Amino acid sequence: MGRKKKMTMERRHNLTGWLFLSIGVLLICWTSFYPMIQAFILSMKNGLGVNLKFAGFSNYLRILKDPTFKGTLFNTFFYLIIQVPIMLTLALVLASILNNKDLKWKGLWRTCIFLPCATSLVSYSMIFRSLFANDGFINTLLRGIGLSPVMWFANAWTARFVIIIALIWRWTGYNMVFYLSGLQNIDYSVYEAARIDGATPRQTLFKITIPLLKPTILLTTITSTNGTLQLFDESLNLTNGGPGKSTMTMSHYIYNTSFVQSPNFGYAAAMSIVILVMVAILAVIQMKVGDER
Amino acid sequence: MKLKKVLACLLAGTMVLSMASVMTAGAASDEDNKLTVWTWDPNFNIYAINKAAEIYAKDHDGFTVEVTEIQSDDIESKITSAVQAGDLSTLPDIFLMQDNSFQKYVTFYPDVFTPLSDSGIDFSQFSAAKVAYSTLDGTNYGVPFDNGAVINCIRTDLIEQAGYTVDDFTDITWSDYMEKAKVVLEKTGLPMLTAQAGSPDIIMEMLQSCGASLFNEDGTGNIAENDVLKKCVEIYAQMVADGTLVEVTDWDQYIASLNNSSVASTFNGCWIMASIQAAEDQSGKWAITNMPKLDDVENATNYSNNGGSSWAISSNTSHKDLAVDFLNATFAGSTELYDDVISKGALATWAPAGESDAYNVPVDFYGGDTVYAKIVDFATKTPSNTTGAFYYDARDAVGVALSNITQTGADVDSELQTAQETLDFNMGM
Amino acid sequence: MSKGKKIGMYLFLIIFSLLSIFPLYYMVCAATNMSVDVVRGKLIPGTYFLENYKSLIANQNLYRALWNSFRNSAVLTVLCLLICSLAGYGFEVYHTKAKDIVFTILLTAMMVPFAAIMIPMFRMFSRLKMVNTMAAFMLPSISTPFMIMMFRQASRSFPKDIIEAARMDGLSEVGIFFRMFIPTMKSTYSAALIITFMNAWNNYMWPKIILQTNESITMPMLVSNLLSG
Repeated sequence: MGRKKKMTMERRHNLTGWLFLSIGVLLICWTSFYPMIQAFILSMKNGLGVNLKFAGFSNYLRILKDPTFKGTLFNTFFYLIIQVPIMLTLALVLASILNNKDLKWKGLWRTCIFLPCATSLVSYSMIFRSLFANDGFINTLLRGIGLSPVMWFANAWTARFVIIIALIWRWTGYNMVFYLSGLQNIDYSVYEAARIDGATPRQTLFKITIPLLKPTILLTTITSTNGTLQLFDESLNLTNGGPGKSTMTMSHYIYNTSFVQSPNFGYAAAMSIVILVMVAILAVIQMKVGDER
Repeated sequence: MKLKKVLACLLAGTMVLSMASVMTAGAASDEDNKLTVWTWDPNFNIYAINKAAEIYAKDHDGFTVEVTEIQSDDIESKITSAVQAGDLSTLPDIFLMQDNSFQKYVTFYPDVFTPLSDSGIDFSQFSAAKVAYSTLDGTNYGVPFDNGAVINCIRTDLIEQAGYTVDDFTDITWSDYMEKAKVVLEKTGLPMLTAQAGSPDIIMEMLQSCGASLFNEDGTGNIAENDVLKKCVEIYAQMVADGTLVEVTDWDQYIASLNNSSVASTFNGCWIMASIQAAEDQSGKWAITNMPKLDDVENATNYSNNGGSSWAISSNTSHKDLAVDFLNATFAGSTELYDDVISKGALATWAPAGESDAYNVPVDFYGGDTVYAKIVDFATKTPSNTTGAFYYDARDAVGVALSNITQTGADVDSELQTAQETLDFNMGM
Repeated sequence: MSKGKKIGMYLFLIIFSLLSIFPLYYMVCAATNMSVDVVRGKLIPGTYFLENYKSLIANQNLYRALWNSFRNSAVLTVLCLLICSLAGYGFEVYHTKAKDIVFTILLTAMMVPFAAIMIPMFRMFSRLKMVNTMAAFMLPSISTPFMIMMFRQASRSFPKDIIEAARMDGLSEVGIFFRMFIPTMKSTYSAALIITFMNAWNNYMWPKIILQTNESITMPMLVSNLLSG
């Protein structure tokens, strides 16, 4: 009898769970999946402007022949590989320092480090563009200490470097917020116990903080990967893809294909689907590695 | 300009939450005497359309326009979205469009426009080159607004240090110009020109001054085999190598270089005057003349065009007759309007306006020269060129080639070949 | 902790904070000086703020944009927090294999580049005659896989004993969520609040397409108008 009651309890809880998540999931189906299916149908069509014809997978074959797409693919993955690990490590280190009970002026540090995220994407791109301009602040500084100024935006590698610096500046505090909130949900007594057991800060970080933060780390890794692969505003506003197309990202190219060049929506949709597949594969890998219970 | 921008960023960025006033949104009424307009510059075309409405309202009681300020590329993306969504009802009655984009939109989205050929507007009174931008297959889709005739703006005080006057830069060729630019650099330490890196504006101006373009007659791309283009690119690259042309990061820096005396001259569409005149302390130090012409090129002239825009009536409008009559009575029929908007640097392409006295007023900022009459004269001598639906694709490809050539010293021929391939790729289905 | 390490820690924080603030400080200097000084690289806040401020409000619908942005962001944030935390809680606390699969599928929704779904989404809202409405601005961001995931991950550290104890006390499942979960998860909620509000405030691409009248202008749109003005 007890067993039977437990079964119905479980079923009831299962149903409650579905009920709880239904509103959110239905909304996402409506505002994301439905347009996504539309985009997929669009990616099978070919033509400029509104005269679209069904064309099977020809748009996907076209991607393989497009040197610009390959260039933007390289840039995007370059940003991903360099920037995401640096940013997440920095965010984690900062969060664990800020979670220290003995630290003074916590609010001050937190505010300072978070402030960059409050800046709008357009404004922060403008700030960095003017900081790194030919006669901007950074070059004035370089001249001041006797170095020769660098034409940051004239060379592909220095321009990519500026984008990475800007990204780290803008998003480290953002990720720190998640780590901090994750840490604050961990009971402080765990740390007390570790301290009494004589654990070094390094041990505390690797043995306690990181394992307990694993769900949050997974969250930030997936969102940062996703955010970087869809990077758009920085490429558009900071460098406008230049010099040439050497800093242009995939999303920027997709946008140009739809709105700047002669409109080729089918092709743009096909490229989006390719990005979607790439991110999805990465996310599935990350989920597999990070979401064990 | 710059000031407003940074302040705006500060406000948006750091969220100054001063909830001082609460504005309630009034629903747009569907009055019979009101036209909705999308356009972008408060000091320029918004001013002009409001002025036009004011003039029109004198004979038409209660007429008003409701202007929404939307950036030109946003107007374009909104039109694109509306067409793709199959719902044109969100479009206004009238919108302004850049001449360079006009062909693209008329070609791909003809349903957005109201054809104007038989509307009673007399297009023969506009300069033919200008009307061509908004005409497709003999049908007119736009009413020309401002002029983008290229003017060569020179700092007389700076070239004087090199022993030159404006006359030394008038009606000259590029080879002559490049030599003089070197002298100016040597004597003043300043470059002759600044340009926004990656933007092929100057190349496009040089091309059009020869009546050449990036397209063949049959509409196919003409980049790799285009000798005129190659010549233009070589001149540009040579000037960068000489140090007489300095590339700056962005538009702001370009304007700053003009305003803070770090360049001896610039040439651009005549709308650049508004930015130059912003530095009031430089009044009297500037002069205007024509641009250099290419050596040994058939049909080469000293005149070109960059920018400019035209009004279009959307097919969505329920006030078609009113909109046509309004544009016909103002932008295609009112010297009063053009006499007024000239103070904002909006030069007419409508012939009767050019004969008005307002165009013969000496302007102190340019040493008392009658610059407006001069620009109208330039405009009439400008060769027309083909923009076509793929103008931006071609322009973009050339821009990429140009940055590779000037910044990494890449080979001109192979870069132009790549640009041709990029364009062909975009045009090919 | 040793003294040396403490000093190192503070030094790290100071350097990092300075680096974080400097670009913003630079912006403030630019906003409060004459443009000439900014070009010359003056780095002390000037006295020109009031003049610049006046010239800004004179030209633009500053207050309207501020109010619109604030109202849209605030309403959106409240709805988003409620719906997403409920869903995240539902996914984690009552988790089953099926729910995990649904969740993974959900994740793909956040991986589509916005440029790709912008047009279909616009078409959808324009068919519903919702262009220029606040609802059309908000609907796509009320429920996001990202926020749901954030609450799902956070719920993992919500002690199961609390739920069990509350059930013993006869609290309903909804009651547990509102009376136990929300108060315990304050730090997650405040992080989510900040992030959602910021994103809503800074959202630019979508409002640019869907909001087309002067009355509905938001701050980022105002800024972009100024940028090219």
